[in-house]
Amino acid sequence: MSALRDLVPGCLVATIAAPAAAVVCVALIALVSRERTTERVALVLVGIALAVSLAASAIVALAACGLFGEAVTGEVDFGAWLSVGSYEVPAVLLVDTPAVVFSLLAAALTALVARFSKTYLHREPGFVRFYVLLGMFAAGTQLVAFAGALDLMFAGWELLGWSSALFIGFFHERAEPARSSVRAFTTYRICDIGFLLAIVATHELIGSTRIFALPAAALLPTSVTTAIAAMFLFAALGKSAQLPFSGWLPRAMEGPTPSSALFYGGVSVHAGLYLLLRVWPMLEAAPAVEFVGVAIGLSTAVYATLVARTNSDAKGTLAHATLAQVGLMLAEICAGYRELALLHLTGHALLRVWQYLRAPNAIHDAHRIGHEHVVPSFLLRSRPHLAKRLYAAALHRWRLDERLDRAIAPVLWLARKIDVVERRLAAFVHAGDDSRTNDRRGQDPRGGAS
Amino acid sequence: MLFAAIGEADVAPWIVFAVSVSMLFASTVEQHARYTLLPMVLVAVLLAVGVSADDGMLGYATLALVAFVHAATAVRHSRIGAISLVLAGISTAVAAIAVGSDQVVLAFWASLVAIALRAGVMPLHFGVVHLGDKVAALQAQQFASTLALVFLHLRFVDHHPTAYELAPILVRIGAVATLLPALAALVQRDLRGLYRCTVAMHGGMLLAAVGAAGHGHYAAALLVSVTTCLGVCGFGLMVSALEQRAGRVSLEGLGGRFRAFPRLGAAFAFFGACGVGMPGTAGFIADDLFLHALWEESVLGTVLVVLGSALLAVATIRGYTRVFLGPPCASPAPDLLLGERLVAALLAILLVLLGVVPNLILGPAAALLGS
Repeated sequence: MSALRDLVPGCLVATIAAPAAAVVCVALIALVSRERTTERVALVLVGIALAVSLAASAIVALAACGLFGEAVTGEVDFGAWLSVGSYEVPAVLLVDTPAVVFSLLAAALTALVARFSKTYLHREPGFVRFYVLLGMFAAGTQLVAFAGALDLMFAGWELLGWSSALFIGFFHERAEPARSSVRAFTTYRICDIGFLLAIVATHELIGSTRIFALPAAALLPTSVTTAIAAMFLFAALGKSAQLPFSGWLPRAMEGPTPSSALFYGGVSVHAGLYLLLRVWPMLEAAPAVEFVGVAIGLSTAVYATLVARTNSDAKGTLAHATLAQVGLMLAEICAGYRELALLHLTGHALLRVWQYLRAPNAIHDAHRIGHEHVVPSFLLRSRPHLAKRLYAAALHRWRLDERLDRAIAPVLWLARKIDVVERRLAAFVHAGDDSRTNDRRGQDPRGGAS
Repeated sequence: MLFAAIGEADVAPWIVFAVSVSMLFASTVEQHARYTLLPMVLVAVLLAVGVSADDGMLGYATLALVAFVHAATAVRHSRIGAISLVLAGISTAVAAIAVGSDQVVLAFWASLVAIALRAGVMPLHFGVVHLGDKVAALQAQQFASTLALVFLHLRFVDHHPTAYELAPILVRIGAVATLLPALAALVQRDLRGLYRCTVAMHGGMLLAAVGAAGHGHYAAALLVSVTTCLGVCGFGLMVSALEQRAGRVSLEGLGGRFRAFPRLGAAFAFFGACGVGMPGTAGFIADDLFLHALWEESVLGTVLVVLGSALLAVATIRGYTRVFLGPPCASPAPDLLLGERLVAALLAILLVLLGVVPNLILGPAAALLGS
């Protein structure tokens, strides 16, 4: 038993490193080999890595439950990832209840989706790409789950963002997935500014980015803690698609169904909530941010519920149903019910993955069996005018995306002005040079602008 | 600690040299580049002498020569690029003379101007980006020696009180020079424009990093310069490889080139992502270390740089989707050739290695330059 306990540090590393190594191997094979990489190579390498990750996560969970003697919890230190003078990013992983639950949930769901996709995506173009991205996602989620320092968590967080954007644009031959991918990624990156600044501020003000050091935030002035907590909340809102950043989630359904299930039903959409569970001491010291979090969570729940009731497509309805539940979880966390939120998160992820994976069959069944007759709602019967207005607003998703686009229009205007000035200066400086030297490149057959 | 047996400080110059030579080697894949082996070998030898020199005057003098060699090679393709390199060479020569005569303040300014010209800091970026437009291989070569120039700056002239006093100002200028091109990158209508903005944005970051080094953040500045040079070099070579196959590439609509060039698309995405701090690559570590260094100098500067990095990331993924995604476009041109794949793999391995084991360069850098 004690030998199994000794395995815990190695297992912690394996949960993260196995999928990461598989991704590197498949990517290098694909880049260097003369032939196109086969489905089998990607499936075997990533499949084995995900199995190792799941087994390692299970061993850590059992050790944390005390099955191998004394329960293994707390920090597992692997030294410094990078160290320069007094500055250090510790390579530290943290074993506690939220970490073990999130890791095991993510590893199990990823392995399940990998198995499901073997059949679902067989002979689809992009099969290898799917498994590479799945490995990248698995490494990212395990890093987010077990990270004992905010810098490490941010590394995993970013991997989730990149893999999510690339999954949304998976069916790259259609225009809509490409646009949706950029929108989702833009939301992620803008909100990640909050996470990044919060990490730097935490390090500078507390002296460490270890999760265990965060209770020291209580000693900081309330205004400072409120600012940092608000930045963490901002990051979480983007990742978990809460108001006003909810617009990208229904668009993210352009990706393959298995990745939609894993990302937007199971794991990725809950990552923002998990971040708030991790930085809870910071939130606790900032009551104003907690209040805002509860308000946003409840507003998102109401918004998503109304929109879900007007959606006519299965995945869109599921996306908004997910949003509503995630909004409730956000409210629970910010109201201080962390254990309830963790339980809610686990149950919701399991149910939602099943619903997403079953969605294609459900559509088929609905066509075969026919639709249930819809009884007019209480609101429609008592206040038909209000009901119609609500219906129209929900149908247009409260024009959330258009409002966000209008908000960033001034930034794009400024960007165009800068570009115009730069191009004019460049034309002035390069005058004569371009005509003297012949450009060796031809013109784009699609009529590219110069 | 990794190199304790042979002395960490002694290893630092050779790591810089190895990275620089990798970039020189990478430049050989440019299919239409018409240069002989001689200038490349000459540059490599001069770089070896320059980075390993214990005398600042000798180091700067050799790098001035390198700049003139680059200028001589560039003049046939881009006159403004060659002029920019000559100006950088003159600045470097002035720095050499000033270091030799103990005029460290003059050396500091001359060295800084040379770095700004070579790295493409806005608004001094016109020469360098024009060179990149014309011959990406030359751009890669000059980035190889820019890295060596930054190394010499950190080693010989950045320990002076002037550097300490000017650090906050340089950081702010660098931060603004990071944000402006990142903003412009969002609205580019062609791939060259995106590449131009990418170079200028990284130039701004490099200036901010060199500025922050005035307060002792030498290792952070060196890692930022290594990442910048490797990432931008790789990205530039992929842009060039694509333009050789498809001509000028518009970002107005969806290009749909992924089916025709899957490996090129993957390499393009990788180097683009590395430049904006993708985890698992040196870009992530460099950003992390750099932001902590910046915060100590200027909180506003930190916010501007973070914003710039986020905007460039958005512009990069927009560029990727516009170039590679969309209804498929058939092309008779081949995907990345074996030589190009090997070069991409070499640069990628270096970026991943430094991302996973950053102490490989940070330890020796801190030992030699101080931390």
